[in-house]
Amino acid sequence: MFEHAAHDNPISRRLMIGRMARAALGVTVVDALADPLASAQAATAPKTGDVSVIFLMMRGAMSHLDTFDPKPGREEQGETKAIQTKTPGVLFGEHLPKLAGMADRLAVLRGMTTETGAHEQGTYLMRTSYTQLNSIVHPSMGSWTLHVKGKQSRDLPGYVLVGNGNEHPGAGFLDASLTPVPIADPKLGLENTRLPAYLSERQFQRRLSLADRIDRDFRQRYAGPQIAAYDQMYKDATRLLGSVDLQAFDISKEPEAVRGRYGETTFGQGCLLARRLVESGVRCVEVEFNKWDMHQDIFEDLPEHVGTLDTAMAALLDDLAASGLLANTLVVLATEFGRTPKINQNAGRDHHPAVFSCVLAGAGIQGGVVHGSSDERGFHPDDDAVTVADFNTTIAVAAGLPHEQEFSAPNGRPFKIGGGGTPIRKVLVEGRL
Amino acid sequence: MSRTLLSHCCTWAAVAATLGVAATVLVPCQAAEPLTAKQLRRQRQQQRQGTGLPEAVTTAPPATIMAVAPLDRGSRPAVQRAAAEIDRLLAASWQERGVKASPRLHDAQFLRRIYLELGGRIPSYDEARRFLASKVRTRRADLIDDLLESPDYVSHFYNYWADVLRLQERPQKKLIFEPYLWYVKHAIATNLPYDTWVHAMLAADGGLWENPAVGFQLRDEGMPLPYVDNTVRVFLGTQIGCAQCHDHPFDDWTQHQFYELAAFLSGTRMRANSSGRVNAVGKVRPGDGERNLLMEARQQLRKPIAFARFVQANTTAVSFHERPLKLPHDYQYKDAEPLSVVSPHVLWGEVPSAARDADRREQFASWLTAPDNRQFARTIANRMWKKVMGVGLVEPVDDFQPGNPPSHPELLEHLTDEMLRLDFDLREFVRILVSTDTYQRRAVVHDPASGTPFRFTGPALRRMTAEQLWDSILTLVARNQWAAQRPTAADIAEAASIDVDKITFDAAYDQFEAFLADYAPSRRMRQLQQTVGYRGQLLVRASELPAPLPLGHFLRQFGQSDREAIEGSRTVATVPQILAMFNGPITHSMLEKGSVISDNVSAHLPREAVDVIFLSVLTHPPSVEDRRLAHEEVLTAETPAAGLGNVVWALLNTREFIFIQ
Repeated sequence: MFEHAAHDNPISRRLMIGRMARAALGVTVVDALADPLASAQAATAPKTGDVSVIFLMMRGAMSHLDTFDPKPGREEQGETKAIQTKTPGVLFGEHLPKLAGMADRLAVLRGMTTETGAHEQGTYLMRTSYTQLNSIVHPSMGSWTLHVKGKQSRDLPGYVLVGNGNEHPGAGFLDASLTPVPIADPKLGLENTRLPAYLSERQFQRRLSLADRIDRDFRQRYAGPQIAAYDQMYKDATRLLGSVDLQAFDISKEPEAVRGRYGETTFGQGCLLARRLVESGVRCVEVEFNKWDMHQDIFEDLPEHVGTLDTAMAALLDDLAASGLLANTLVVLATEFGRTPKINQNAGRDHHPAVFSCVLAGAGIQGGVVHGSSDERGFHPDDDAVTVADFNTTIAVAAGLPHEQEFSAPNGRPFKIGGGGTPIRKVLVEGRL
Repeated sequence: MSRTLLSHCCTWAAVAATLGVAATVLVPCQAAEPLTAKQLRRQRQQQRQGTGLPEAVTTAPPATIMAVAPLDRGSRPAVQRAAAEIDRLLAASWQERGVKASPRLHDAQFLRRIYLELGGRIPSYDEARRFLASKVRTRRADLIDDLLESPDYVSHFYNYWADVLRLQERPQKKLIFEPYLWYVKHAIATNLPYDTWVHAMLAADGGLWENPAVGFQLRDEGMPLPYVDNTVRVFLGTQIGCAQCHDHPFDDWTQHQFYELAAFLSGTRMRANSSGRVNAVGKVRPGDGERNLLMEARQQLRKPIAFARFVQANTTAVSFHERPLKLPHDYQYKDAEPLSVVSPHVLWGEVPSAARDADRREQFASWLTAPDNRQFARTIANRMWKKVMGVGLVEPVDDFQPGNPPSHPELLEHLTDEMLRLDFDLREFVRILVSTDTYQRRAVVHDPASGTPFRFTGPALRRMTAEQLWDSILTLVARNQWAAQRPTAADIAEAASIDVDKITFDAAYDQFEAFLADYAPSRRMRQLQQTVGYRGQLLVRASELPAPLPLGHFLRQFGQSDREAIEGSRTVATVPQILAMFNGPITHSMLEKGSVISDNVSAHLPREAVDVIFLSVLTHPPSVEDRRLAHEEVLTAETPAAGLGNVVWALLNTREFIFIQ
């Protein structure tokens, strides 16, 4: 009984859908086929100088000694050996051979320091540059970027999070449209985007329009940020349906060999998805890798997880460099804090906010640089300590965001992108600052 | 189909039949290209032959789902007096602030709210009809009492505590945690007084089989200091975690105080058995029986690790053997030397005299849960207030500190007194809160970012929790929502318990395999798929589903916790949620033949069917205008059945459906 919609004249159908949708939702919908040129444009690479950001978030706190800041010969180093990198005199942990081979593209910050050793607060600070408060949610750096720079694709979201959205501050006090779209599993991409076979777009619009009219009183009565956020998500979801750009979410479109190079891991495939999304004009992508909270038997787990990071990030940087996109794409590797140099009685490392390492590469970043250092045992910063605000302000500069401008939250308080830190000149290409 | 034709010829049976067919076609199409007619036919045929809803959920529920402690109906006058006193305090604060109470809820609005509040789901069509037809003067109070004695109440409050206590089935690969999960559910079903419950968990000894309350301590196995932090945060609403590493930056807690409190628990062991030995640093070494089993496993098995974990699960037991606690080697303050021994001190007040001669862990548990420790009562009073009203008097509920004062101090102290008066009977406390006039008012929009404190002129507008949404949709679908329940502690003990000192390797291995067959999470999932599975989803209550669920599950999409963070659940809007509501299998399940709503619609004439859909999904009859719109949809759709399907879909995709007014 549903199939007769398929005999409709597609042109008139689209016109009608457009009218209905505008009437119902105030949005332009749905069928990307209506304008093949527009969607083809959306799928091309972003304009030169128009920076995208890929944020790799090492959840659980990445051990600096075992990755980017080894202390060979010290008791604290445990079982992880150090290896030479392409940058003379700079050593990485042995499980990062691929990144070591491209250290000339990386700026490593070894003097990162923070005060909180709690995961939730530390992650929040890293994502927003502000201390977590009860009264307000601060926007994540990705939402700031989108707020300032805007979307690059009509149909695709501006900001995607590959991982768990629950702890993510998202758009904070900014508009709900700047909320990242969470992707639970990069292999599945964005699910439920295809209408059932029997359901024509026209029927779909009928349904939406009916829901909209029945719901009108309720939405008016309870108007506020919660309802507005859902209204926004309904608009965004409707815009996505049927868009040809959705292919960006489908990593099965990549050749098997390419998928293999990123590693058959959720994080690896997440990095591949990030690359596809940025290629298609998604402004910011964050990929979570939640395996780092190694309180027990750390040396059993390190080879696998550090190897996962090495393979995935190296493939990502290689591909971005090969396509030329690396010049416009800032790649950030961050974590909430470090892990204790002292190995605990369960053969693990505990939380260590005093010093840790982060890495920058790509747009605006000077490669082959190490900034700051920890002391000889990896306990405290020796020189050039970098706060989270300094780090994020550096990101803001590299991404071309106005880091000195004051923005007002709804409660009237002023905020700066990056938290008002001091950008680190040494890791930025000349002329950026 | 014309109007005339419908009214004259089309019987409802025919419409219902087409609805059934329509429903089986509601499958997200996998193919990227439009299907040929032939392909489409084949696909339809396959779908018609497809499984549809599993029989286990379309049949009547079991006569007894679970035993729930009866409620004292005689205490209703006292409940109403207590509720009135809370209303009086609030009314005084409204007057002071010059704000007005939100309008009172109609019966239908109250009905939906109270089912979601106490039962974690919307009422079924039959339940709604019955209540709305009732003329009994005490119908609201009667319903409150009925719900508080229902399995729905247990299930819903289990979900609440599962979020707070980070309940997982395998928090570590060697921990088989189902007995503890059942214990939490059981504590709610038996309405165990909260102070007794918490004390039991903090001081529990033994293994999970015989004393599942030990799960609380085992949840942080290997992390004794975070355990102290988590325990104080959950039960005393106080964050001392910062002081684990350094003096608290803006609160009064010092690192020394943190260690003084931790000193009470130093010497809590998580591994023990009769022949286990303790080495110089207090670590328990495996006993002979365990070592022999593991040795044989290494010789005989290619991959001994899973079996080794099973053996370890049997030798995991909590016991307490006091040990001195030392300050960390890098302790930086002047009040003590690094590595010096800390003597135990509580954060405030003192250890109750009755416990002073007991061991230190018992002293800690007694101090924390004592009636004299008002902060314990205050914390749970504020938690339950938030559970019911949507916003805590202190927010967040686990951050009491001088810089974060309560919005209504007098009310908070009154609620604390009430909690103490009720001897920590949480169910009675909740009964009082939902009986207030204030609770039975329309929801009020609250924007925490606005900086304006919430005035409690009614409860705050909330989106349903992920579990409320899941169980509500299940109410529209499954006649039997309890076709599977989580195993009891006794089930697991019977399947998993071995005496490592007596059993032979062969016998132990056989039992290991039998245990896996029934309870390994992946195999249990597969079994459940066969009985209650529908297109990859398990159609049972959220409380009975595996924990944690995979990130892509409907419940996780809607913000269910990963059960790693304390109260990690969220109700934030995201795009994948909407796509799931548009196209996901859960939306389609209710359009299947045999679903509750489909059956209820089928049993009515077309004109009434719209009213049935409204009452089923939104718990109220349509307005005149909405009825007109819906009828128009039914009459102008390609078939009336498709039109009715569209009405169901449309109501599910309203804000009114997912928000609680």
